Amino acid sequence: MNLEDSYRNPFAEYNANKMDSKTILDYWCDPFAFKKSKAIQSGSFSEFDVLTHEMPLFFVGGRGTGKTMFLKYFSYPVQLEQAKRDVANGTISSIADYFSKKGAIGIYVRVDGPLLRSFKGKSLSQEAWNSIFSHYFELRVCQAVLEVIKDLVLQDALLVKSVEKDFVTQVARCLHVKPGRNVNLDSLIAVVNTDIEAVTRFRSDIVFSDIEFHPRKAFTTGDLFTVVKLVKKHIKGFLSSLIFPILLDEYENFSVDQQRQINTLVKFVPEATTFRIGMRFEGFHTFDTVSKNEFIKTGRDYQEIVFEEVLIKDMDYEKFLLGVAEKRLEAVPIFHKKRFVDIQKILGTRADLETEARELISNRKTPDQHFKLLKDSGINIPLDKAQQLLRCPDNPLLEMLNILWVIRGKPPEQVGQTMADYLAGKKSASVAKYRMDYVDKYKLSLMFLLCSVYRQHKRYHSFNTFCFLSSGIVGNFIELCRRSFQIAYFEDRETLFEKGTIDSRIQDSAAKEASSAELKMVNRIHEYGEVLYRFICNLGNIFRAYHTDVRLKYSETNQFSVDMGTLHDQQLKNAFNAAVEWSLVQKKPRLQSTSPNSPRRVIYTLNRIFSPAFQITYRTRGQFSEEYSEEDMRKLMFEDNVKPQVSLVGAESAGTIQQQLSLEGGSE
Amino acid sequence: MVKSSVYQMSRLTDLQIRDAVQYDCILLGGGSDARAYEVLRKAHEKGVTFIKVLLFDFEERKNASDRKIKDAYNRYTTLHDDITLLPCSLKDPSGSLKAIIGHGFSFNQKSRLAVDISAFTRPYFFSLLKYLQDHCGLLTVDVFYTEPMSYVLPKGLLQSYRASLGPLFVMEVPGFPGFTTGRKKNILVFTLGFDGDLSVFISEEVTPDSVVIVNGFPAYSPKFKDISLMNNERLLNASDAKESISYCRASNPYDLFNFLVVLRKKNPDAFFNIAPLGPKPMALGACMFALADNSIRVVYPMPEKYANVSTDDCWHSWRYVVPLGLSLRTG
Repeated sequence: MNLEDSYRNPFAEYNANKMDSKTILDYWCDPFAFKKSKAIQSGSFSEFDVLTHEMPLFFVGGRGTGKTMFLKYFSYPVQLEQAKRDVANGTISSIADYFSKKGAIGIYVRVDGPLLRSFKGKSLSQEAWNSIFSHYFELRVCQAVLEVIKDLVLQDALLVKSVEKDFVTQVARCLHVKPGRNVNLDSLIAVVNTDIEAVTRFRSDIVFSDIEFHPRKAFTTGDLFTVVKLVKKHIKGFLSSLIFPILLDEYENFSVDQQRQINTLVKFVPEATTFRIGMRFEGFHTFDTVSKNEFIKTGRDYQEIVFEEVLIKDMDYEKFLLGVAEKRLEAVPIFHKKRFVDIQKILGTRADLETEARELISNRKTPDQHFKLLKDSGINIPLDKAQQLLRCPDNPLLEMLNILWVIRGKPPEQVGQTMADYLAGKKSASVAKYRMDYVDKYKLSLMFLLCSVYRQHKRYHSFNTFCFLSSGIVGNFIELCRRSFQIAYFEDRETLFEKGTIDSRIQDSAAKEASSAELKMVNRIHEYGEVLYRFICNLGNIFRAYHTDVRLKYSETNQFSVDMGTLHDQQLKNAFNAAVEWSLVQKKPRLQSTSPNSPRRVIYTLNRIFSPAFQITYRTRGQFSEEYSEEDMRKLMFEDNVKPQVSLVGAESAGTIQQQLSLEGGSE
Repeated sequence: MVKSSVYQMSRLTDLQIRDAVQYDCILLGGGSDARAYEVLRKAHEKGVTFIKVLLFDFEERKNASDRKIKDAYNRYTTLHDDITLLPCSLKDPSGSLKAIIGHGFSFNQKSRLAVDISAFTRPYFFSLLKYLQDHCGLLTVDVFYTEPMSYVLPKGLLQSYRASLGPLFVMEVPGFPGFTTGRKKNILVFTLGFDGDLSVFISEEVTPDSVVIVNGFPAYSPKFKDISLMNNERLLNASDAKESISYCRASNPYDLFNFLVVLRKKNPDAFFNIAPLGPKPMALGACMFALADNSIRVVYPMPEKYANVSTDDCWHSWRYVVPLGLSLRTG
C-alpha cells in the first residue's frame, strides 16, 4: 500500500476509554519520565507508589487531562500486554515475574453515567436504591477480580491447582454458593453474572410496576471485597505477595448516596486492596460515609493528586507533550518513514509575532490606521508627523509600542529616538526600558491591540502556543493537533506529506474551531450549562476588553479572584463548582495578589482553550485580576454584557464597535 | 428465532375504505407542534376511528407562557369526545405508565391499540411500547406518525436545530438497560439527528469500542441527510465512525430494524447501545429491535427542557403495524 493511502490522523484517537490495551501501551507516555528534578514535592509519586501505596489515591483533573489513560495503564489487561512484550524481548522471565516486580495488579472498574443514574426514582425509596446499588457494586468488583484470576490461570498453569482447590471453595462460601463437584471458577463467575443480571432485570421491571427486589443473596458494602483477600490467602504462588488496587474512574458521576458507600470503603480499606480513583475537580459530592459521624479526610484517609499541577508544576509539560505527540506520529507509517515525528517541527516552535504583524498591515489601503489611536486618545499630533517620528515599516509592533508610550505621556520625538537607539543596539536606561516593554511585557499585547484596530483575528499557531492553549490538559493539546492535521490533510496535503509541516493559517483555523467547539459544549453541561455558558461568555468578553484597551493598563488580563466563603447563595456556589469541575476556569495552585499591594487570594484563570474564541492571550501573566463579590458572580452568571471593573478605552472606539461573542454562541 | 413477518406501513392518505378500522384506544402525547394531533384530526376521514383517547398530558408543555403555544397544545379538546388526560412528566415515563391502570385503562393481548408517536419524546414512546409488550402482553400495535413539513431552524440550515434546550445528561431509556453478560465489545449505534451536540455527549458517556452511524436516506427532504452529517461533524471526526456510516430510509422503521438485525448477527458477542437521535420512524425501528432483544441498551440525552415547537406544519401521516413479542436474543 502507498504510504499516503495508509495515512490516518495521528491524533484521531483521543478517548482512552475507547482504546484497547495495545493502543494504550503504544500511546502511553510515562509522566514520571518528565519530572523536572528529583526534588519531589509533597503530592508527587512514583509509578511504584501508584500501584502499591496503601493509602487510597484520588487523581483529580479536568476533562482530557489523561486520568483514564493513567488508570487504564495500570489495569490488568494493559499490564499483561506489557508483561507479554517484556517476556518476548527477554527483559523478564515470566508474567509472574513481571507482576511480582510491580507488586500489584490493578483491577479497573468503570460504571458509566447512564447506568449510575438509573439507581433512583421510579417510585422506589432512595434507601432501597442505595442497598441495591451497594449490592450491584460489590458484584461488579467481584466479577472484575474473578475475571482477572480466570485470565491469570490461563497465563500461568502453576496457579490452576490452588485456584480450583482452595480459592474456589472459599469464594463459593463468600458468594453463598453451595460447594460441590460442579463448582469451579467459571461457574462462580456465572453466578455473579446472573446476580448482576437480576439487578439489571429489576431496573427494567421497576419502570412498569411496583415490585420488590429479591436477590439470591444480598451483599452489602465490603462483603465481596473479601474475595480479594482470598486471592492472597488461598492462591499459592506470586499472587500472595501482591496488592490489588481497585481503579475506579469518573467518580464525579457517582451520586451523593453512591459516593457515600464508596467513601466508606475508602475509609475502611478492605484487606489486600486499596483504591485509585479518577475524578474531576469538585468531583466529591460528599465526604460522608455510611456510618454516622464518619467522614473521609484528605491526608488521613486518602491522598489527592491534582493532575494539572503534576503535569505543569512537577514536570516539563512541553517535553511531555512532545513525547505524547511523538508516539502518535511514529505510529503513522508515512511520518515514521520520513521521520516527521517532531511535532515542534511540524507546527513550528514559536509564533513569529513580527511577521504576523507585517502580514496584517501589508496590502492594506489604509496601513496607518493604528496611528489614529493617538488622536482617539486625545494626543494632539498631526498624523503625518506622528508617522514621521514613530514609524518602523519593518515592525508594526514597534510602531504600536511607540504609540503606547506617547499615549502614556512620553514626547513623540523622544520615543522615536529611543526606538532608533534600540534598533541601533545602543545602550541606555531608556533603551533598556524600551526593550523590556517590547520583549518582556507588551509584544503579545501590542499584537492583540493591532489586530483589534484592523478588526482582524489574532492567529494562534505553533507548538508553544498550543501548549499554552491546552491549559495543562493533554486532551486539549491532542484536539488542537487533531484538527490541525485534519484540515491540513484536506487543504494542504502536499506540504504535510512532503515537508512535514502545517501552515500557520491552518493551525489557526484549527485552534479557532477547537475553541468554538469547546465553548459551544459549555451550554450542554448537564448541570448549570446555560448559566456557565453566560458566565464564560461574560468573562471572555470582559478579558477581551482589557486586551483592546489602548493604554494597555492591565494587558492580557485573564484571571479573577473570588472568595468562595463569601458565596452564600448555594446556586451560585454549585454553579461555580461546576465551572471548576469542568475546567472552564482553573484554580491557580498558589495564592496571589489581585493587584500590587493587595492581599493574596485564590486566583482562577479562564481555561486558555477559550482564548481564540474571545481573541485573548494564551499566556497567564498574572499581575492583575478582577475581584468578584457574590453580586458580581450573580451578574456574571445571570446577566448579559457585564462590563470590566476597570474603566478602559477600547481600541475600536474610533467609530467601530468590536464584535462581541454573543450569548447565542457566535458573532452577531 | 425471528418470526417472519412482512411489514405493513401505509400513508394515512392512501388508506382505502376497506382499510377502515376501529381502535379501542389511541395513546398520544400532548404537544404544541402542528403535527401533534394531526392523526386524531384526520383519521376519521379514512374510516379510522378511536373509541377512547388517552392523552399523555405533559406538565412541561401544557402551561407554556406563550398564549399561542398554549392554545396549540389545548387543541385536542375539540377533536374527540372521550379524552382521558394522564398527567405525566417528560422526565419520568415510569410514573405515568404505572398510573395507566389507575385511570381506568387495562390493556391486554386482545386490546386493539394505536399509538401516535408524533408528539412523544423518544424515551417516552420506547417505554410505552415496552409497557404494552411486556406488561400488557400485546402482540401488535399500530403506530401512527406525522412527518413535519419542516423543522424549525432559527439560524439557517446548519447547526441551529435544537429539539432540546439547555444542559443534558445521558440516561438509559427506562425499561431498556440491556444485559452485558458475556459481551466482550461495546458498540454504540447512532441514528443521526440534526442536533450534533447530542451525539458527542452520548459518545463521551458510553465510551464504546466502536461506533456505527446510520443516517436517514432517503429523507423527507434530500438536504436532511447532509445537514445531519454536517451538524454531527464532531462525532464523525473524533472517532472511526466516518468509516462506518450506513443509510436507512428515514420514514421506514423496518429498514433500520433489518439493518440492526444483520449488524447483530455480525457481532454476536457485542453489547449494543443504541442512541436513537434520528427521525422518529428510525427510532421506532430501533425500538422494535430493542423490544425483540432485551440485551440491547437504549441511551438518550435528557435535556433540561425541550423546545415547545421544533417543527412546522404537517406532511404525511403514516401508519406502521408493529409486531410485539418477537425474540431475537442470541445469548
